[in-house]
Amino acid sequence: MIGFVAFSIRRAWQGFWRNALMSLAATATMVLMLVLLAGFWIIQTGLLSALDFTEQKVEVVANIDLDATPADIAGLEARIRAMPEVTGVTFVSKDEALARFQASMKAQGREDLTKYLDTNPLTASEEVKLKDPGFSKTVADALRKEPAVRNVLDTKDTAQNVKTVTDILRTAGTVILVVIGVIVLFIIVNTIRLAVFARSEEIEIMRLVGASDAFIRWPFVFEGAMVGLFGAAITLTGLYLLSEPIASFMVDFFRVLPLSFGSLANQLILIVTAAGLGLGILGSWVSVRTYLIR
Amino acid sequence: MTITSTPSAASPRSVRERLLRRGREQAQADRAVLVLHDVTKTYPNGKTALQDVDLVIPEGDFVFLVGPSGAGKSTLIKLLIRDELASHGQVVLDGQDLARLPRRAVPKVRRKIGIVFQDFKLLPTKSVWENVAFALEVTGTPRRKIRPAVDRVLALVGLTAQREQVPSQLSGGEQQRTAIARALVHDPRLIIADEPTGNLDPLISWEIIQLLLRINELGVTVMMATHDADVVTALRKRVVALEEGRVIRDEVGGAYHRVD
Repeated sequence: MIGFVAFSIRRAWQGFWRNALMSLAATATMVLMLVLLAGFWIIQTGLLSALDFTEQKVEVVANIDLDATPADIAGLEARIRAMPEVTGVTFVSKDEALARFQASMKAQGREDLTKYLDTNPLTASEEVKLKDPGFSKTVADALRKEPAVRNVLDTKDTAQNVKTVTDILRTAGTVILVVIGVIVLFIIVNTIRLAVFARSEEIEIMRLVGASDAFIRWPFVFEGAMVGLFGAAITLTGLYLLSEPIASFMVDFFRVLPLSFGSLANQLILIVTAAGLGLGILGSWVSVRTYLIR
Repeated sequence: MTITSTPSAASPRSVRERLLRRGREQAQADRAVLVLHDVTKTYPNGKTALQDVDLVIPEGDFVFLVGPSGAGKSTLIKLLIRDELASHGQVVLDGQDLARLPRRAVPKVRRKIGIVFQDFKLLPTKSVWENVAFALEVTGTPRRKIRPAVDRVLALVGLTAQREQVPSQLSGGEQQRTAIARALVHDPRLIIADEPTGNLDPLISWEIIQLLLRINELGVTVMMATHDADVVTALRKRVVALEEGRVIRDEVGGAYHRVD
């Protein structure tokens, strides 16, 4: 058994280098496909975190009655917190609201009209963050029934639109990822099939001298695994060298800080290695089948 | 065959003789390396390549298989190595019915046959020694047994001096001798040579034939498919002639063409 494995690995190694051109072509294809897969995985991850981020932005704002007492507000806040659809509540006082307004006017380069006012016309508010933008209607309706609430900012349509768009993007992303996966599978299998075909004479000789299926198959499977591992190593090295530009691209494009970049890197190592290994093995297994005993 | 039941039709002695002869035939069939019984091969495309072929090749025989291209020689060889299965009839190699062989057992049966081709089928990147050793390596032979076995067959075919050369450095005859060494290294019961001299000039052809005869003298059964009329006629060995998938002639000491 050990002899057999040693034989298969030795033959795989020899086979890889004796047909260096074919092997390199297969490895290059593998790298290309893995880069495609990894690239799309990065985009998909960025997209998803951007979507999560956007969805977090969806909040329900309840403006509070001017004559509400601090006790009313505290009670309201406690009741909002108790809602299962809610992740967080922030109280914005009248002064904070004014300060924000002034800051945003300044940021937009417009004249601060509030300086002509004697009193602060803005109301205090509760900003309610939701677990899911789909809950906005439920939460808004509940808030409207609160006596201390003057009115609820109607973000229902915005929330619904965001929800629709993010759902479509998520589905599309998954579909495209699957489609790319299938295409990658076909291309890799065909490339390895070519590499195996280049050695069909050798396989024929093995059959004629009475090699068992295992002795014919496993060296090729190990060779496929080698192509996969080399491909994965090259791809990951490339990605590592490009990780800085990729990170800044993600920040620029998705406007998300890649806080999860460490875990994304781990995911990528796992996915690229597993995909390379799996595709290489599967490709060889399928390709060599044709030559085995019928 | 039925034994005559009416005593008047045959004397007791002739019945006994027939029984004895039948016993001898049976014993011969038992010792036969290869028995084809009523074999027909029809390919899925409807073409019948072999029809009702009966052939018994006893141990130690030297048989020429002759016939025009497309007569069914290649199909016959494919049946022997169980690359194809007979549509009808039995192919029995060394006592084993190939049709009843489980898939797993096929490689082991193939090791009982050594095949030599017109185009040698050597691996161009391997040396003579490695080409021969390859046949043992891929069948899981332990390494310590490979070396002496390969050295022995290379000595037998006279290629000890060329052991480190690759096929492109060899002459055609040397390449064919390498292929013969590879076919022999498993100690096969039967050597099948498919037009082994087809690519060689007459002088070298004779060398190869002499080598096959010597191997035959060592006790290995040899079946050689050939178009080489001079060789067949000169040697006066057993000749099996195929035409359109049928055995049209099977005679010991025959010539390439039928002598009328």
